[in-house]
Amino acid sequence: MVRGDFFILLPLIITGGAAVAVMLLISFRRSHLATATVTLVALGAAVISVICVAAAAPRQASALLILDSYALFYMGLIFAAGCAVTMIAYDYFERQTDHREEFYLLLLLATLGSAVLVSSNHFASLFLGLEILSVSLYALIAFHRERLPSVEAGVRYLILAAASSAFLLFGMALIYLERGDMTFFRSTQIASGVPAWSPLLLAGTALLIVGIGFKLALVPFHMWTPDIYEGAPPPATAFIASVSKGAAFVLLLRYVTLFGLHSGSVQSAAIAAIAVASMFFGNLLALREEKVRRVLAYSSIAHMGYLLVAILAAGPLAAVAAGYYLVAYFTSIIGSFGIISVREGREGGGDAVSDYRGYAWRHPWLGGAFTAMLLSLAGIPITAGFVGKFYLLAAGLESSLRLLVVVLVASSAIGLFYYLRIIITLYGPPEAERQGAAITPAVSLAGGVALTALTFLLIWFGAYPAPLLRLIQAMVGG
Amino acid sequence: MSGAELNIPALWPFVVYSGVVIFMAIGMLGTSYILGERHRGGAMGQPYECGIVPTGSARLRHSAKFYLIAVFFVIFDLEAVFVFAWAVAVRESGWAGYAEMLIFIGILLSALVYLWRIGALEWGSRHTPRRGAEDSL
Repeated sequence: MVRGDFFILLPLIITGGAAVAVMLLISFRRSHLATATVTLVALGAAVISVICVAAAAPRQASALLILDSYALFYMGLIFAAGCAVTMIAYDYFERQTDHREEFYLLLLLATLGSAVLVSSNHFASLFLGLEILSVSLYALIAFHRERLPSVEAGVRYLILAAASSAFLLFGMALIYLERGDMTFFRSTQIASGVPAWSPLLLAGTALLIVGIGFKLALVPFHMWTPDIYEGAPPPATAFIASVSKGAAFVLLLRYVTLFGLHSGSVQSAAIAAIAVASMFFGNLLALREEKVRRVLAYSSIAHMGYLLVAILAAGPLAAVAAGYYLVAYFTSIIGSFGIISVREGREGGGDAVSDYRGYAWRHPWLGGAFTAMLLSLAGIPITAGFVGKFYLLAAGLESSLRLLVVVLVASSAIGLFYYLRIIITLYGPPEAERQGAAITPAVSLAGGVALTALTFLLIWFGAYPAPLLRLIQAMVGG
Repeated sequence: MSGAELNIPALWPFVVYSGVVIFMAIGMLGTSYILGERHRGGAMGQPYECGIVPTGSARLRHSAKFYLIAVFFVIFDLEAVFVFAWAVAVRESGWAGYAEMLIFIGILLSALVYLWRIGALEWGSRHTPRRGAEDSL
């Protein structure tokens, strides 16, 4: 360990140190405001430190972590998303009394795990990051320990995530057996004279895809998603949908790029099949759901399917497209769950689509923001989601993945239906008994700032994408 | 080592062994299914409890203390494992290793402080969920 290594690892050190500090703070002074403030400041400092250390990148810090501009860009995104989730969580837990401070501690740890994941360059750090993330998520999902659906969701995630970790570990073991190295780079490079794909390597890669596919909730491995999205507290759901999936995707993209996915090979055919299945089933199953959170769960399955198109396209444009799409997806999904969380924290009430009837008339700003988020998820112009999808299509066409592009367009059209159904319900006539009810303040300062910022970013990235695009090209495309 | 010529001769005893195990399991279950007697009615479907008719539900609520002790064991006993591993190589790892061990133990200590302050170490009734749960034990 040299001085430079410590400097470049500053974002991770800040987050890890903050988790310990928050734990000590909770043990001596239980204060919701103080805990949330420390968490927010730490995550903000982590974002700033990412910008500071960017000049020193790329640098391999020990054998485990690589801090290149690719890792740093996504780290910044993850920390920024963590800030947004913290503010939304503060709004949500303000009205509750029991053990709410621990949420921020777990959130910090989960963010740390994701950051390790995106910078990992070795199977050991991959697994460490994944476990830090998963173990924190078990507790985050089951955070309402007195509510049965929340506990059930936590146990379900615990069992399934443990099983998927087993798949992942077995896959790593097989690849290690074949290549004799645990670093990504050397385990993917092929020495001369050795056949490129042996059965062991193929089996190991397949098991890796199963493990990561579970984290991303791609179609054959998606069963857990709706129940967990429904049972977990909304801020935790926002985190799972954005940061947890995003980190796993970034890792998969890094690994597959190193491997060099040749079109026509078994692996690319398998990933293409998973992508097509995710896009279609995600969107089709969402049509049948009556609950908003379950609809968004299936929609997130479809979104991960869209992102796989970027992995298969595998060009310089594809990396940029994936980056842009992830930023757009993070903004819209955190915003959507932010509004769901604000509504549930303040008004309570069911989660069915019909419960949202007339919500936009009662709270015009929140309703408008929710509309913008949903339109972005659907990929309507002047929102970030449109530009993201546009680049995905461009990347797919550049690599002439015609079938995937056609499926992407067709399944997006199916998806439009259920997004529009929620939007129409938002602006529907309010229920009679609701009309006389006292109007509660719509949102607290923290939640309001977060949601305003997200909506603003959403429209900015959609209407004027050039600055973000230049940043992504500089960080990821190079 | 490439996978194509992965010691195929060394593998066949394993394949034969697996086959024998599967065959034996199926054989034992199958023959007892075909040859075995079948009783129906009476107390056949009930769990066996020393000859008396079972009373009450099997779903008791147990105290979660066992779990807590198990978690403490994992945390503080695993710590010792890491400290032993470091102690063997204390001279080789030098001051850097010492600093790393300080950080490691420091984090564990702050976890202990946290557990102590939230009352997880108290054996009393502060954290028992319900009185009734203990009575039924």
